[in-house]
Amino acid sequence: MSSNEGNMKNVLSNLTSNREGNRFALISFIATLILISYTGYDTVVLRTGIISEFADDNDYLITFTTLNETMQEVVTLQDDETRNLQFDLSEISIPDGYSIGYIDVSVTSEEESGISGQCDSVAGDIIMNDLRAQWSDPGNNLSGQDSSCIPIELDLAIYPNFNGESITVSAINEYQALQNWSEEGWGEGSLSIDLDLDVNAPFGIDPGGFDSDEEITVDVYITLFTVSIQEIE
Amino acid sequence: MWNNAYNLESTREGMVEQDSMVPVAAIVCFLLGVTTLILLNRSKDRMWMDRMTGLMLGWCLVFFGLRYAAAAVRDAKVVGGIVNSIPNLDIFQYLFYSFTIAAIVIGAMFPFVYPYPIFQKASSIKLVTPIIFGVSLVIIISMMLTEYHYVWFSHILFLPGYFILLLVYFRFISEEMLDDDNTARRMSLASGIVLIAFFGQQMTWWLAQIISINDEFVGRFAIESGVGDYSYVPNWIGYTIMNSVAAISILALTAGETWRATKKGINGFTVIIYMILGVGLISGIADYAILGIVDSCMYTVCEDFPKSYDIWYNFTTDALVLLFTPLMVMYLLLHFDVIDSAAENNQWMTRIIVILMLLIVSSTMIELLQSILPVSDMISSAILAMVVAIFIGWEERIMKALIAEGESISKKLQALNELNEPEIQDSDLELFSKSMAVLTGFIFILCILYSSIV
Repeated sequence: MSSNEGNMKNVLSNLTSNREGNRFALISFIATLILISYTGYDTVVLRTGIISEFADDNDYLITFTTLNETMQEVVTLQDDETRNLQFDLSEISIPDGYSIGYIDVSVTSEEESGISGQCDSVAGDIIMNDLRAQWSDPGNNLSGQDSSCIPIELDLAIYPNFNGESITVSAINEYQALQNWSEEGWGEGSLSIDLDLDVNAPFGIDPGGFDSDEEITVDVYITLFTVSIQEIE
Repeated sequence: MWNNAYNLESTREGMVEQDSMVPVAAIVCFLLGVTTLILLNRSKDRMWMDRMTGLMLGWCLVFFGLRYAAAAVRDAKVVGGIVNSIPNLDIFQYLFYSFTIAAIVIGAMFPFVYPYPIFQKASSIKLVTPIIFGVSLVIIISMMLTEYHYVWFSHILFLPGYFILLLVYFRFISEEMLDDDNTARRMSLASGIVLIAFFGQQMTWWLAQIISINDEFVGRFAIESGVGDYSYVPNWIGYTIMNSVAAISILALTAGETWRATKKGINGFTVIIYMILGVGLISGIADYAILGIVDSCMYTVCEDFPKSYDIWYNFTTDALVLLFTPLMVMYLLLHFDVIDSAAENNQWMTRIIVILMLLIVSSTMIELLQSILPVSDMISSAILAMVVAIFIGWEERIMKALIAEGESISKKLQALNELNEPEIQDSDLELFSKSMAVLTGFIFILCILYSSIV
């Protein structure tokens, strides 16, 4: 049947005038409906639910458990001597899941001021090298000097932003919340410390040259940490 | 899949090669659209159906060109210095969405006019212009006011057209096969080409849609982009409908073309259909293989897609939508005699545009190849020179293939006595161009104003 009147009814009637064609088209439409139904369920119902969990970041409380490792070296320096000590951090045993947070160094001279009130002048410097650390962290204390027989304290931050305090993080999942705390490689290398001795004789008099050296103890305290996470409801 | 930066609006992005294709697509579409409108203006002897078809396709291409141009500026690299010099970048996002909506509305109305016009009465034909203008404006303004949260819901506008095109395709392929009516081929071919032009991109995801893994990709992009518009269910409905319709379209076309090939042999269109089917099959397998990477966003962190995966989509889905779809529209215009390309005063322009389009696409493909293969500039220049030589040498043959075999759809429908020929004045058809020009002006003004207000 055909018509050229242009009525919508006639046009549609002409368009659907082939039985075989209609059959194929009908099968296609049914297939379309079926496909829209199950993919629509997956997309609109299931996936929307999953996505909505990511619409807003969740808050997580990250806490740190720490433990300490110590390395020590005792050396005797001559007057005006400068000596470099190397502490290979790979020699310490780091439990699984732990990272090096920061390093404190204590440089202690054997001498006590006693009645002379005169101590040797000791200087300690952490030397910047290829040790992977936060060398420009404002909390670092890389140089110290003392002539009053008080231990010199040096500090070097190793892991970025670690100070041992608990923190709150916003992230879409635990993995991403912990992402900044799962970096590897920090603390790899050797800690290099320069010691410098300038002997000061008691009352400034040492004609026999008996006070020409000093025993210096260097303690390296390595703070290791592991993280635990808890979602804040 | 879903490397649909220009549908999903830059949720998956970052590929330099694709970035370089968007400006090319902008030029190709705009140039082709303007040329179509000029040629159409010189083809006043055409029937109302052909002229209306040409106007709709021409303006659709112009809008697509402007859309890609807006996307190209929006996505321009900051280091390129362009973005920095533009005070308010949002305007390009607004322009992108607005021209997309205008193109979608024209596309949605298109099957009501071509290849089998549902609107055949003078009154209903005259309604096409105000409907497109009005609906475009209403959707553009409402989406703008709702910050484009529901913009992809507008994909459902394609549904009626999809049903019409499938009906036309199956009716005429059945007539060709069962009644041995060879002239019916032009109808099924035209509706098949329109289906590819509408859903070509999503057709390459047919397997992923059938095994229902597209939602996982959408989920990934949602998380990557901070959920945002993805939390709006209407958008998800729009995606689902578009992908489902495209999947069934390619399977239906494959079934039809296979049926035809068993009797009539394989032709160019059959090869194109099988190529899209094959691309969809491989893409579906690749999509399934990288589901772990897709899901990484939900459970760990978003891992990057493998480079080879990106390259695959560059050469298939993106190249199809950005470069080959305009060529298919050009084929439709020339092969089915929508514009009077055989007329003496139109031929030189048609020839220039055909060669220009083919060269632009060829050179872009060579550039793409060069970006992944260690081919020196000398060799790629030589290849381009060869392509130029082939096109110049075969220019006449290419043109003849396009024009000489031209088979008008309207003539076929007239022969079937299924085409009404109402009195449509030139002024009625010219109103379409005027309305679209006004719409373009409205869009620019609205986007400039709105982006400066918000």
